[in-house]
Amino acid sequence: MNKPLLQVENLGVCFHTDNGTVNAVNGVSFQLEAGETLGIVGESGSGKSVTNLAIMGLIPSPPGEITSGEVRFRGEDLLTMDSQHIREIRGNKIAMIFQDPMTALNPFLTVEEQLTEVTQLHLGHSRREARAHAIDMLEKVGIPAASRRIDEYPHQFSGGMRQRVMIAMALSCKPDILIADEPTTALDVTIQAQILELMSELQHQEGTAIIFITHDLGVVANTCHRVMVMYAGKPVEKATTREIFASPHHPYSLGLLNSALRWDESHGGMLRAIPGQPPDLTQLGDGCAFAPRCEYCVDACETAVPPLISVDKNQTREHACIQDLPSIRQTEVDV
Amino acid sequence: MNSVPVLQVSELKVHFKIANGLFSPPTIIRAVDGISFDVSEGQTLGLVGESGCGKSTTARAILKLVQPTAGSVHIEGVQIDTLKESEMRPLRQRVQMIFQDPYASLNPRMTVGNIISEPLSVHDICHGDDQRLEVMRLMDMVGLNPRYMNRYPHEFSGGQRQRIGIARALAVQPKLIVCDEAVSALDVSIQAQVINLLMDLQQQLGLSYVFIAHDLAVVRHIAHRVGVMYLGRIVELADSDDLYQSPTHPYTQALLSAVPVPDPTVSQQRIKLVGEVPSPDSVYPGCPFVDRCPVAEDQCNHTVPTLTPGAHQVSCLVQSIDLPADSVEVSG
Repeated sequence: MNKPLLQVENLGVCFHTDNGTVNAVNGVSFQLEAGETLGIVGESGSGKSVTNLAIMGLIPSPPGEITSGEVRFRGEDLLTMDSQHIREIRGNKIAMIFQDPMTALNPFLTVEEQLTEVTQLHLGHSRREARAHAIDMLEKVGIPAASRRIDEYPHQFSGGMRQRVMIAMALSCKPDILIADEPTTALDVTIQAQILELMSELQHQEGTAIIFITHDLGVVANTCHRVMVMYAGKPVEKATTREIFASPHHPYSLGLLNSALRWDESHGGMLRAIPGQPPDLTQLGDGCAFAPRCEYCVDACETAVPPLISVDKNQTREHACIQDLPSIRQTEVDV
Repeated sequence: MNSVPVLQVSELKVHFKIANGLFSPPTIIRAVDGISFDVSEGQTLGLVGESGCGKSTTARAILKLVQPTAGSVHIEGVQIDTLKESEMRPLRQRVQMIFQDPYASLNPRMTVGNIISEPLSVHDICHGDDQRLEVMRLMDMVGLNPRYMNRYPHEFSGGQRQRIGIARALAVQPKLIVCDEAVSALDVSIQAQVINLLMDLQQQLGLSYVFIAHDLAVVRHIAHRVGVMYLGRIVELADSDDLYQSPTHPYTQALLSAVPVPDPTVSQQRIKLVGEVPSPDSVYPGCPFVDRCPVAEDQCNHTVPTLTPGAHQVSCLVQSIDLPADSVEVSG
């Protein structure tokens, strides 16, 4: 029996606020196999981060509520699991790296205390073993003089070094899944390149599956095998990285690709920006959430939410648009 | 064509003293350490570099928000760094700034109408009904519905707030706008809208921009000339396409190679830089990039490189010996 490493089925998360109920995530399904990298792309408020917080069991309740769905890790549903059991998995089998390492690390504890906590808890290391392991991990992520720096506090590290500490911590227990939520957004490009390379090296060595949340399509093109594009809490397109860059099937994916600038090409002239603003999640209408900003919108788009449909036989490519975007664009080119 | 550049920065240095207690000498942070460039009318100069390279300090010195340690800043031919604050005020109409964080740079207790009209009152440009009409015109110009002038900043999204900041900067009809990471905090689709707006306004109004950003792709798109900064100095300065097509300084080459291209069919050759940007508090007897440079030679340790003259300026001892012939242009 070949179960996927992680299977998310129809996940729904909402937040009850004073201004109404925000349907942050609304019917997200995807699966992840060992050794692969899935990119989740979308703008602020598209539900990328909430999806992954739900997988980790980190949705604060109240105001958050998981309204539907299953998150099966090796066949076991994490959402119905008791908290004792989920704690054995979180940080151990599924680990997470956050965008801002300064707020994710505890400023009052030395790096040693933060790194050894997780291995003492999950792997039953003694203090001495845990320290040796932590130094080993810091060396692996490229922190010079690790045996000295392990006794320092987070503020004594630069941004890139802190992110390395976060990665070392996340990888301490050799997780099966690493969730990276915008891990390089706050970093300079040269440091970003180092961190991305480090992550892919570790993936090769350990066969870790990675969920990479980002809005940078350059990073997606360079690191991810598959991509899921999210808009207003729903996946609107799923495909392999090459497919989606070559021929997006959803107008929002196309808009994102058009908005992404390349440094290696001269553009000149105006960008093809997506008009309008992302929608208010408390007031989603009956139709497709992207319809008000979509240049391919027809009447039918405003009356019903388009379901995810697959376009090929293997069911690896799905998109939620009633239009046949590639053929419309083909006719545009012909005209 | 006006022959005086809108902005002239020459040999600008901004050093900060950090006190180390009563008996130790202060540490000197060389945030900007001798940079020169011109921006002419209707042109955009991009400044790129990693955090701590002095981009933002340069921006602040152009607006006289920090006092230069040495060198000069001329705006439309007037040297501003020696002016008193009262003499500077009329010049503040000529140069404005747009900030990175549209959440922090707008007063949350003021309505959008008041935010945009404040510079009109301060500089005594117009009052009363004229002012109201002018605010509506400005809001319309940046793509905001003038009906929203009585709303507060928190009622707007990030992209709209950045438009409010642009409208406020335009209110005094400046010639030069300094954009410090003006689109970095925005989502890609919104970022593209704001970039289009800035370029459109430049054409309509003949504005000049100093566009500071760490996103090299954005800078290529918007800037006519680009300066690459490292540890307070410009290491390469050239026309945008020239710089991106034939980067000459090893730092520029490494920086560009680190930016991922949004195209999975492109395989990029990464030039690996070891380590991180060193601290700007030490004095370098040679090239400040020497410790991270992949092509450093012995001479780089004790000779300070200077920018070559011409259209494509480079500050590198190694490359200046055998520059690829097509990348050097000497302007007449």
